[in-house]
Amino acid sequence: MALSRRATIKDTRLLGLCATSFLLATGPIMVQAQESGAAEPVTATATAAADGQTEGQREAAEGARQLAAGEADEPIILNAPKPDARRVYVQDPAHFAAITQQFVIDGSTGQVLGMTDGGFLPQPVTAEDGSFFAQASTVFSRIARGTRTDYIEVFDPETFLPTADIELPKDARFLVGTYQWMNALTPDNKTFLFYQFSPAPSVGVVDLENQQFARMLDVPDCYHIFPASPTVFYMNCRDGSLARVDFSGEEPQVTNTEVFHTEEELLINHPAYSMRVGRLVWPTYTGKIFQMDLTAEAAKFREPIEALTEAERAEGWRPGGWQQTAYHRQSDRIFLLVDQRDEWRHKTASRFVVVLNAATGERLAKFEMGHEIDSINVSQDAEPLLYGLSSGTQTLHVYDAGSGEELRSVNQLGRGPQVLLTHDMES
Amino acid sequence: MNFPTKSRSVLAALMLAAFSGTGAFAADTITVPSEAAVPVAEVPADAIIVNIEKMKYDQPELKVKTGDTVYWINKEVMPHNVAFKKGVVGDEPFKGEMLKKDQAYSITFNEAGSYEYHCTPHPFMRATVIVE
Repeated sequence: MALSRRATIKDTRLLGLCATSFLLATGPIMVQAQESGAAEPVTATATAAADGQTEGQREAAEGARQLAAGEADEPIILNAPKPDARRVYVQDPAHFAAITQQFVIDGSTGQVLGMTDGGFLPQPVTAEDGSFFAQASTVFSRIARGTRTDYIEVFDPETFLPTADIELPKDARFLVGTYQWMNALTPDNKTFLFYQFSPAPSVGVVDLENQQFARMLDVPDCYHIFPASPTVFYMNCRDGSLARVDFSGEEPQVTNTEVFHTEEELLINHPAYSMRVGRLVWPTYTGKIFQMDLTAEAAKFREPIEALTEAERAEGWRPGGWQQTAYHRQSDRIFLLVDQRDEWRHKTASRFVVVLNAATGERLAKFEMGHEIDSINVSQDAEPLLYGLSSGTQTLHVYDAGSGEELRSVNQLGRGPQVLLTHDMES
Repeated sequence: MNFPTKSRSVLAALMLAAFSGTGAFAADTITVPSEAAVPVAEVPADAIIVNIEKMKYDQPELKVKTGDTVYWINKEVMPHNVAFKKGVVGDEPFKGEMLKKDQAYSITFNEAGSYEYHCTPHPFMRATVIVE
C-alpha cells in the first residue's frame, strides 16, 4: 500500500491578517496545508451568514481581533467536522482532464471543508453512514500516457487522509463520463463494486475489509450497479430487463426480471437509487419514471408515473442535464430537472425542478432554479436541502427543498463539476 | 494494431529458418492475410463468410476446418471489427481493424479449437468460430 498523498484541508488559521484585504475581496479560499501532526476541526461558521457577514469577512475580523489581542499565529492542519447528512461531495471530471478534483462542502453553511485529488474520470462513492468516502481512479506514468494504473482509494472523512490504496487489474475500469451508479458500495460498506465495459461486460469486486482486489464477475450485457445486499446487486440490461446478480458463491448467479420498458423508452444514465430502502427511480427522456423496489430476493416494479403533464409535454418540456434525478427517502419525494428543449438536447442544463410524490405521482411543486443547472441531489435529513450544480459556472446552488428558495451558493468548483453525492444519515 | 500477430509471424519465420533442417516450428494459432480492411470485391467467390449487420454477426457459431480462412463482411455503416480476449488466440488480446460498410477482414485458423470473439466497441456482439 502506498499512502503518499495528502488531501487538502482548508486551514483558516493559516490565513494571517496580511491576507485580510484579499479575503474581503474573494471570500473563502483554499490553502494547501503543510504536513503536520496537529489536527483540529474546522471551526463552525454557520453564524457568519446569519449576522450578514461573508465567511471571508468573519475570518478577517477574527484575524484582526487575534492580532489586536496579541495572539500568535500557529499554523496547523485542520480536520473536517464529522460528516452529517448535509455534507455534499462535488466531483469535477473537468471535461475529461487527466487529473481531477472533488470538493467536500457543508451544505448548511456553504463552506468548502476540504478537497481530494483524483486521476482520470474517477468514480466517487460515499458510505451511507458517513464512515468513509472513496473513489475508483486511474493514473498514467506520464500524465496522460505511459503505464496505466487503476486503483481504489479510501479516505478518512475527517482527516481526508487515504486509509487504503488498492490496485486493480490492468485496464479494469470503464472510462466514461461519471455516472453515479456505475460503481457502488455494498450496504455493509465492505465491498466496492466497479463496472468494466471492455472487452466484455463484467463487475469488479474489491474487498475493502482486507484491502485487496477480489475478482471480476462475468455479467450479461447490462449496465450500472445497484446493490441490494452484501452479495446481491442489480443491473439494467440492453434487452430491457434488470439482471439480479448473486455473487455469494464461486460463480455469480444471474437471473433476469421481466422486460419493463420498450426499445423506444430511453432510460437516462442518471437514475436515483436509495440503497437504504432499495428504491430505484429511473426516468426516460420524456419524463416517464419507472420505479423498482430492490431486495436481495427480487425486484418489484411499481406503476410508472409521468413527471410532466400532457400539456407540458406538448409544449416541449423534457428532462435534461447530467445528474437529473434525486430521491428523498424519508418523504418519498422525487426531484427531476426539466425545461423546454428539443428532444435531442437531453444533456443541456435545465432551469426548473419538478417535485413529485413518488407513491402517487402527484406534482407537489415546480421550482424555478434561477440558474442553468446540470445536476441535482438532496440531503437525506428531515428538512432536506436541494443541491443544484451548474457545470457552466462551476457553482453549487443550495436551495430549501420544501420551498425551492435559494439559500446560498459556492463558486469556483473546478472546471466542469458534474456529480453530487451525500451521505444518507440523519443529523 | 496487430502487433501480436506480426511479432508471432516474425518469430515463426525466424524459427522456421532456425529449424528448417528438422522442420520443427510452432505455427501461429491464427494468421491474418491482410492487416488492413479490404474491399468486399476482393473476397473470393467461394470464401467462408460471416456477414455483420444490425449489430450482429450472422453466424453465432461457425464451424470450419483447420487451415480455413474466414471472411467477415460489414454490411452496414456502423463500424465493427473482430476481436479476441486475452488467451484466445495468444497471450495478448487481439483486435482486428475496424470495418466500414462493404469492407472485409479475414483470419486463417491454424489450430483446432473454439474461438470466441466480439466487436471491440460493441461488447454485446459476440460469436464463436469452432475449428475442427
